[in-house]
Amino acid sequence: MHIQIITALLGSLGFSLLFGLRPRYLCLASLGGGICWAFYQLCLQSGLSVFVTCLVASAFSALYGEILARIMKAPAPLFFIPTVIPLIPGSTLYYTMRSAVQGQLDLAADYGMQTLLSALAIAAGVSLVWSVFFMADRVEEYLKKK
Amino acid sequence: MRTENYELLHTLLDFGEAMLRSGAEIYRVENTMTHLARAYGATEISIFVITSSIVATIKLPNGYETTQSRRILNASGTNLETLEKLNALSRKCCKAPIPLHELRKEIAAANSRIGLPQFLIGSVLAAASMCIFFGGTGWDAVAASVFALLICLMQKKLSPLCPNNIVFNLLCSFLAGVAICATARMIPVLHTDKIIIGDIMLLIPGFVMTNSLRDMLVGDTISGIMRFTESLLWAIGLASGFMLAIWMIGG
Repeated sequence: MHIQIITALLGSLGFSLLFGLRPRYLCLASLGGGICWAFYQLCLQSGLSVFVTCLVASAFSALYGEILARIMKAPAPLFFIPTVIPLIPGSTLYYTMRSAVQGQLDLAADYGMQTLLSALAIAAGVSLVWSVFFMADRVEEYLKKK
Repeated sequence: MRTENYELLHTLLDFGEAMLRSGAEIYRVENTMTHLARAYGATEISIFVITSSIVATIKLPNGYETTQSRRILNASGTNLETLEKLNALSRKCCKAPIPLHELRKEIAAANSRIGLPQFLIGSVLAAASMCIFFGGTGWDAVAASVFALLICLMQKKLSPLCPNNIVFNLLCSFLAGVAICATARMIPVLHTDKIIIGDIMLLIPGFVMTNSLRDMLVGDTISGIMRFTESLLWAIGLASGFMLAIWMIGG
C-alpha cells in the first residue's frame, strides 16, 4: 500500500513533466497525486463503495487544484491534472479488452461497467467542486458590484 | 480606423488559439478573451469558442464593429507551461495593457514546445510508476519504460502522418501492443498485462474526458459533446488497437 502511494506520487511527477509543467510547481503537483491516492485508500478502508470513493477522491483533487490555484495565482489545471492521474481506470480498461478478446463476455461487461463507472465518478466529483467554485466566483463578483 | 479593429481581433484570436491548443477549458478561453478585449478598450464584445473554432466580434470606441473567426485544427494537446504563461500574461495585460505588437511577441514566446528530454523523462517515469502502481514488478517497470520510449517516438513521428487522433491511437496502441506481447512471450518473467496497463496510461484521454464533462456542466454544451465524443472515439481506437494485438499474439 505504501508502495502504491509512492508510485502514485512518482506517476504524477511523470505526467507533470510530460505535460510541460515548470519545475517550480513540480513538488506541489506530484505531492497531490500521492495525497489523492492515500485519501482514496482511506475512504475505501472506511467502508465506502468504489464509486463513492472515486467520486470523493476526484472531488478532493479538484479542491486541491482550485485552492492551490488561488494561493499560487496560477490556473487550476496545473495542479489538478497531475493530482487526478492515479484515479484514471487504466487497469480495468485493459482487463475489459482482454476479457472481450478471450471471449469471456460476462467478465468484459463487468470490467467495462467498472471502467465507465469510475470515469463517471471522476467527472462527477470534479464537476461538483468546479460548480461550487464557479458559483462562489459569481457571488463574489455580485457582492463587488453592490 | 478599421485596421485598429483588425489588429486587435487578430491578436485576440492568437491568444485564444494558443489557450485552446494548450488544453484550456472553453469557459476559461472565452472568459480570458473577453477580459482582454475589454482591457484593450472594446465596448461591445461577443466571443464564441468551441473546440474547433473561435468567432469574435468587437466594437471599439471608433464606432466600427468587426468580426473575425479562426478554425482550430487538432487542439488536443496539453501544455501546462503555455497555459500558465498565458494566464500570467492576461492578468498583466488586464491590469496595464501593453502595445499589441509586444503582446503578439509575448504570445509567441509563451507558445513554447515541451522540451524533448523533459517529455521523454516524464513519459518513462509515468509509465514505469503506473506499472508498479497497478501491481507490476521491477522488471515490468523496466519494460514499460522501454515501450514508453517507443510510444513517445510514435507520438512525435507517426502522429503527424495520421489523418486524425482516432487512427493514431489505433495504430500506436496496436504497434505498442504487438511489441509488448511479443517481448513478454520471449521473456517469461514479464507480465504482459502490467506492462500494457502502465503504457496505456500515456495514451488514455482521461483528462480530455473530464474536461468535456465540465464544459457541458458549465453550459458549453456543443464543445462538451464534441470533446466527449472525440475522447470516447480515441479510447475506442486505443482499446481496439490493443485488443487486436492481444488477439494476434496472446496477452
